[in-house]
Amino acid sequence: MTPPTLLVVDDEARILSVLQRALRREGWRILTAGNATDALRILEAEPVDAVLTDHKMPRMSGLDLLEAAAGRRPAAARFLISGWPDEVPAERLNALGIRALIPKPWDDAELRRVLRDSLAR
Amino acid sequence: MGLSRDPVRIVVVEPLASADHPSLGTAEALRRIGRGARLEVVNDAEAALELVRRRADLVVLDRRLGKPAERVLTALRQSGPPVVIVTDRAGAEAALETFRKGAADCVTASTDYGEVLPVVALEQIRSHRRREARRAERHRIRSLERIHAAIVDQFPAALAVLDAAGCVVTVNPEFERAFGVGAPEGKPLAEILPADLLESADLIELLARARSGAERAPRIARMRDGERTRAFDARAERLDPEGQLLLVLADVTERERLAKNVRDLRRYLENIIQNMSSGLVVVDDAGRVAASNPMAEQILGEARGALRGRAAAEWFGHAAAADGSITRSLRAGARVRGAEGVATRADGRSVPVAISSSPLLDADGTQLGAVVIFSDVAELVQLQSQVLHTEKMASLGRLAAGVAHEINNPMGFVHANLAQMTEYLGDVGRLLDAARVGPERFAALAHELDVEMLLQDFGQSIRESQEGSERIRHIVQDLRAFAHRGDGEWVDADLNRCVDGTAHIVWTMMKHSVVLRKDYGPLPPVRCHPKQLEQVFMNLLVNAYQAIEARAARGGAAGGEILLRTAPVAEGVVVSVSDDGVGIAAEHADRVFEPFFTTKEVGEGTGLGLSTSFEIVRRHGGSIRSFPREGGGTTFEVYLPKQGPPAP
Repeated sequence: MTPPTLLVVDDEARILSVLQRALRREGWRILTAGNATDALRILEAEPVDAVLTDHKMPRMSGLDLLEAAAGRRPAAARFLISGWPDEVPAERLNALGIRALIPKPWDDAELRRVLRDSLAR
Repeated sequence: MGLSRDPVRIVVVEPLASADHPSLGTAEALRRIGRGARLEVVNDAEAALELVRRRADLVVLDRRLGKPAERVLTALRQSGPPVVIVTDRAGAEAALETFRKGAADCVTASTDYGEVLPVVALEQIRSHRRREARRAERHRIRSLERIHAAIVDQFPAALAVLDAAGCVVTVNPEFERAFGVGAPEGKPLAEILPADLLESADLIELLARARSGAERAPRIARMRDGERTRAFDARAERLDPEGQLLLVLADVTERERLAKNVRDLRRYLENIIQNMSSGLVVVDDAGRVAASNPMAEQILGEARGALRGRAAAEWFGHAAAADGSITRSLRAGARVRGAEGVATRADGRSVPVAISSSPLLDADGTQLGAVVIFSDVAELVQLQSQVLHTEKMASLGRLAAGVAHEINNPMGFVHANLAQMTEYLGDVGRLLDAARVGPERFAALAHELDVEMLLQDFGQSIRESQEGSERIRHIVQDLRAFAHRGDGEWVDADLNRCVDGTAHIVWTMMKHSVVLRKDYGPLPPVRCHPKQLEQVFMNLLVNAYQAIEARAARGGAAGGEILLRTAPVAEGVVVSVSDDGVGIAAEHADRVFEPFFTTKEVGEGTGLGLSTSFEIVRRHGGSIRSFPREGGGTTFEVYLPKQGPPAP
């Protein structure tokens, strides 16, 4: 059985690095992208089951990326992580069917729990 | 027997001596008068009259000449010298007849002719001269009387002659006109002149003093005349021992009004000059102080009146800007407004001043010197620097969200790493516990936890945490460096470094949403205050960032691009900042450099950013302008001359 695939997107490489370590023991296949363009390319090519993306990024925001992801891979679960969760428009969150809005900094255990609910087979 | 030193001229008119007309001895008789008389003897009427026309005191006419004698007598009858008729005995009767026709005297050549004729001649000459003198005197008196009458009639003051009792003897036309009286002769002055005029200068007393010959100064008398008050200079003079007086009343209303106007104007100007809140110094064409006001003394720290006569260069000569303004006004007649300079006070301290200087011209346009007005702008300079600093802090404030984001990112992963290290430490603890139990237990747990990976991750977490805290430290450092007040020195700076340093700080705060492209050209050194220019570039970059954010907030795509360019141009450099943000509305384009103009929400901007930038650039002798960028957004372009601001 192939492990579930999680795509993590953040323009900050260190965040990608620490997230990868936090989720290592879950046994998932973790792909990373430093910007929305790379993330969309991966979404085209890989069987992604869940997308976890930062919101504030240059050129294309996390919400815009998740909107594009929903078009390409509607089955993939969508998660947004943000340093300013209050600033993320709630109506768009609902419209895009975002599973969870995770505040930054996050609690590792809480993050793993939220992701597990969606990725457990 | 002479008459006077003035020789008398006697014309003798007689027939040529012949048998019919033997000589009577007339000329011989008259020669006895002596050297005091000059004798001319002629034989016909025309020659005689010609001599008389030239000048003659007496004509002696020989009756025997007949018709010509008649002609001479007729011609001289109305005017001319006296004519004495002489004749022989035979013609005595006829001679008496001519005497009646106007001759002055008649002498018959008898035995004592030689004695009688000179006596008669001299007597006639004397009485003729007396008559002439009286006539000249009468003529002179008549002429004086005409002059006197003309003066009195035309004299522009009211004149009155008063008798000893104070009644009017006569007045001149000006008197009648001035006081509206006619035929005042014989009336007392009090009946003619208005009471207020008499009383205001106590004219009756003035007249009494004049009559008694006491010392009297002219007085000013006043009277109401409808709406206005007329003023007269009043003087009195005793004319004769009998006590006749001359009263002179000269209307000085207009003169007083003009004098008052001049006084008022002078007081008005003096008030302004004395009380103005700027220093005022008037310098002569040699640059020496001719006049000053108290504020000038105060600003320059000098005692009252201590400026006069000293060279303005004593205070203004130490700073080119101030001294140059005065010199240019003096030499070239230039008007300099609001030049920034420095004055050196008496105590050696320097005061920043704003100085204006204009040439001082007289009514004909000849330059007399210069008028220099200056203000102590120390407080203003301090305020300006405060505004600069406040605006700088405000632009930092506008970056706060970006700063928070930039700090939050490293904070985020430092936090996550710390949490992970706690977990790793827990794992290490469990491994130690297992080791105490026994090697098998330890080996099993080590395998389960993948100790190699655990140690690798632990190390990674520590390194990333260190890096994160280092990044936060850098951000704080940059902010502190930017917030630092710059010193006020002009230096030759590399603007590429200045622009790039500012871009680095600002971009750190906005890189989560903005791509910054740089295009730097080779620049000459520019004379400037680098810290102030950093503020301008910062302000333009933050504006560009906010324009991009604003576009995203209005539903446009998130993120954007800022293009930062520098390029050399003739005599200077151009720095431009272009964004693809929301752009400036056409109706706001003219107002963006106005102080307090802002389209931002309360708390987002002070409305001073661009006006402060404008002011900073202006002080550098440069210019700043904005124009729409093709495809949306705005470009701001700053021109800076490499020599810095021109000397004023």
